[in-house]
Amino acid sequence: MGAHRESTLGKAMRWATLSVVVVLIAAPLYWLIASSFKTPVNIGASPPQFIPAPATLANYRAAFEHYGFGRYVLNSVIVTLGATVLVLVLGTLAGYAFGRLPLRGVAVVLVILLMISVFPEIAVVPPLYLLLHRIGWLNSYQALIVPYTAFNLPFAVWILRNYFLGIPHEMEEAARVDGASTLRTVWSVILPQALPGLFTAGIFTFTACWTEFLMALTFDSSNSYRTIPVGIALFGSPNVIPFGTIFAAATVAIVPIGILVFVFRKWVVSGLTAGAVKG
Amino acid sequence: MVAGIALSPQARSRAAPGDERRRKLLARAGWSLSAPALIVVAAVTIFPIIFSVILSFTNVNVTGSGFSIGAMTGENYAEIFHASVWRYALVFTVVYTVVTVVIEVVLGTLLALVAARLTKGRGYFMALLLLPWSMITVISAELWGYIYQGTYGVADAIFQAVGLGHPLFLGTPTPAIISMMVADIWKTTPFVGIIVLAGLVMLPQDVFEAAQIDGASGWTTFWQITFPLLRPTLAIATLFRILQAFGLFDLPFVLTGGGPGTSTTSLALLGYKVMFEDVAFGPGAAIATTTTALVLAGCLLFLRVFRAQVGAAKEA
Repeated sequence: MGAHRESTLGKAMRWATLSVVVVLIAAPLYWLIASSFKTPVNIGASPPQFIPAPATLANYRAAFEHYGFGRYVLNSVIVTLGATVLVLVLGTLAGYAFGRLPLRGVAVVLVILLMISVFPEIAVVPPLYLLLHRIGWLNSYQALIVPYTAFNLPFAVWILRNYFLGIPHEMEEAARVDGASTLRTVWSVILPQALPGLFTAGIFTFTACWTEFLMALTFDSSNSYRTIPVGIALFGSPNVIPFGTIFAAATVAIVPIGILVFVFRKWVVSGLTAGAVKG
Repeated sequence: MVAGIALSPQARSRAAPGDERRRKLLARAGWSLSAPALIVVAAVTIFPIIFSVILSFTNVNVTGSGFSIGAMTGENYAEIFHASVWRYALVFTVVYTVVTVVIEVVLGTLLALVAARLTKGRGYFMALLLLPWSMITVISAELWGYIYQGTYGVADAIFQAVGLGHPLFLGTPTPAIISMMVADIWKTTPFVGIIVLAGLVMLPQDVFEAAQIDGASGWTTFWQITFPLLRPTLAIATLFRILQAFGLFDLPFVLTGGGPGTSTTSLALLGYKVMFEDVAFGPGAAIATTTTALVLAGCLLFLRVFRAQVGAAKEA
């Protein structure tokens, strides 16, 4: 009886804690989205308006018509998709080689890759800026696609290698015995098994490229090549921060990613813990 | 065919020279398959980092169509080591990293412990935790800038409502640092929570059942069983966070611009300002190189400790 009462109390405390956590996480997100519908006057209302009344789409119109946010979205999509496709193609080739072929010295290569993936971006900004300047690549899509590919490849190679490693060799043998060519074996037997790894690597690369700021700011700051984070950070003038417009643009930028992460949460979680699993 | 598989160990030892040739062939194929990835990584990270070290010892002049470098000198390092802004940025970055990572790991672990008991809706809870993580940092910085705004920010309204007066959230150094840490903790604690939660649900359940039968309290169970088993996961989460926090750039760039004064200027932000506002690439490269060296040293030190941790966990 006593134990039962205690567990009820424990349960209540657990639900209370969880509710507080949910509110703490969700409230700022609500504030962002709600404020994007406030009128320019109400965005600066004191005390603040908790529910936008009247609700307006003026900020969305301003973001796209006055600030040219559509261009930034297009730039982000091109750079992010370009880098993600490259990472998946090159990462699959390397991951397959490291996971299934008898290579000597793979462990050393993998550790070097792991160390590279944790380098602070500032480490490569000065030299890359000068080199890109020298070859005339500043303010171009490739100025971001190539570094993004390089910075996200190590993680993708690790993840994909782990998946390839986990596929039983018998499956490959069976296909070979049935007379399938090596390429065909890889395409129709191995790759489908590694699909979850491709998903995880893809979502991670996509998110990392979509949110990257430092390199995008330094290599592609001209108005026609700005990505979403750079565009939003440079909205307005130093004296006036147009919060309404910023939040309208921000809502457009985070909702697709939010949905993507929500739908594919299983793979994102497995990607986040891939290191822990293998460790 | 069954016979073929059964005979294979013997067949392999008999056909050793052929197998060795096949292994070499496969190895060559393997290196060619991985070459594109390795070349891209080396070209954009390893080679530039070496180049950056060279830059940090020279006088760099940026011209219209390229750049030129002067003779080797140690002046850039002498300059930054003597600059109080650099020394402050170093201390600030280290303190910021330690404080935020400790708070995030403790809160994230608590979060995970509570959420692990969830039977229904754990997937949705995890998805909610992922939202701040997937958010563009620039956006969360703008959002917190709005929250902390001096005259109409909601934080000001809340502080007034509970009778805490009118703090200047971003206007004076110490509150600005704390406000920035809060924004960081909001965005990153859920990330730590996810990693720990995923590690937690993978632990063998029978140990916990045994502890419950033995009548161990929750506190004892955590310190005697959960924590030791969870150490590798916690180590990885901590390492991730240390490395990320040390590269701190987006948040101060947008939220405070490194101010007031230089009170929230991190090493990365200082490096950026020196390079792109003062157009001093030599000292900028020196700042970038020392930051990288510190991260690398921290990483190696941590891996050392971490390896000992894993050893301890395996023995247990």
